[in-house]
Amino acid sequence: MNKILLVTRPKYDNGTEYLSVYASEILKEAKKSNISVKDFEEKEVNKENIEKYLASKNPKLLFLNGHGNECEICGHKDKIIFSLTNVNLLKNRITYARACFSASVLGCEAVKSNNGCFIGYNYPFSFWIDDKWSATPIRDKTASLYLMPSNEIVLSLLKGKTTKEADNISRKMMIKNMKKILAMEQKNEPGATGMLQILWDNYDGQVVLGNKDASF
Amino acid sequence: MNEEKKSINEDIKNLVIARLDVMPSNYKLSIGNEGTFTKRELIEHVMAEDNIGNQIVKMQFNFIKALTTGKFIQTLNQNE
Repeated sequence: MNKILLVTRPKYDNGTEYLSVYASEILKEAKKSNISVKDFEEKEVNKENIEKYLASKNPKLLFLNGHGNECEICGHKDKIIFSLTNVNLLKNRITYARACFSASVLGCEAVKSNNGCFIGYNYPFSFWIDDKWSATPIRDKTASLYLMPSNEIVLSLLKGKTTKEADNISRKMMIKNMKKILAMEQKNEPGATGMLQILWDNYDGQVVLGNKDASF
Repeated sequence: MNEEKKSINEDIKNLVIARLDVMPSNYKLSIGNEGTFTKRELIEHVMAEDNIGNQIVKMQFNFIKALTTGKFIQTLNQNE
């Protein structure tokens, strides 16, 4: 297993566009820390490319962005890159899947009888977007409340934290953001409760499966 | 019993719609592979009780559960 970070960034709708932009922040941090990275973007995010890279370079850390369901994680234009048929490829690695429901079946299978770890979600991963900033997602302070805590998982792993520690750091940031939203509610800012319930869902649905002491 | 269940569902549905209705009109919700929706579209899905609408109701219900069981407050306090 090699100390390489593999990132998938499909980009073909609002949701994946935001995930892709926020994931690119991780790429910048990895570059600063001289960590080897393989970034698959847009059309490159397909099963063939990913499988080929896993076989040849054997990266330890996978950061998968995109749509998903209980049994699948998708690449570009909803083409499946991981499912129960090739879940064995995730074994002994650290995988963080920023994809809906990814932990509930696929994640459990990924960590069965091996030393790997899978961080993902038992619920949909959702976030509010402020359409005023949709052309520059990184400046969207509303979306940041949801996406920065999830970025924190990978940033913490890059700093050598264990998967459990990375999850805790991410959770602390989510709690901090929930408090920010509650303060907005106290000022009667419209929509604060709606924002809070989505962040709570992400918090409640985030899980670490398998080896909680794994580190990159 | 069914009437009661229906009435509870209607109450939850109305609560969800009321919560969505106060969202700023420039906000959109991205719900994984379901897509990204304006508040008007979200309200329509809740009213239609389709998959997306039911997903939104589930999220609301999960939050209400966390509030009523004290899990939400405990979570906020554990960080202090």
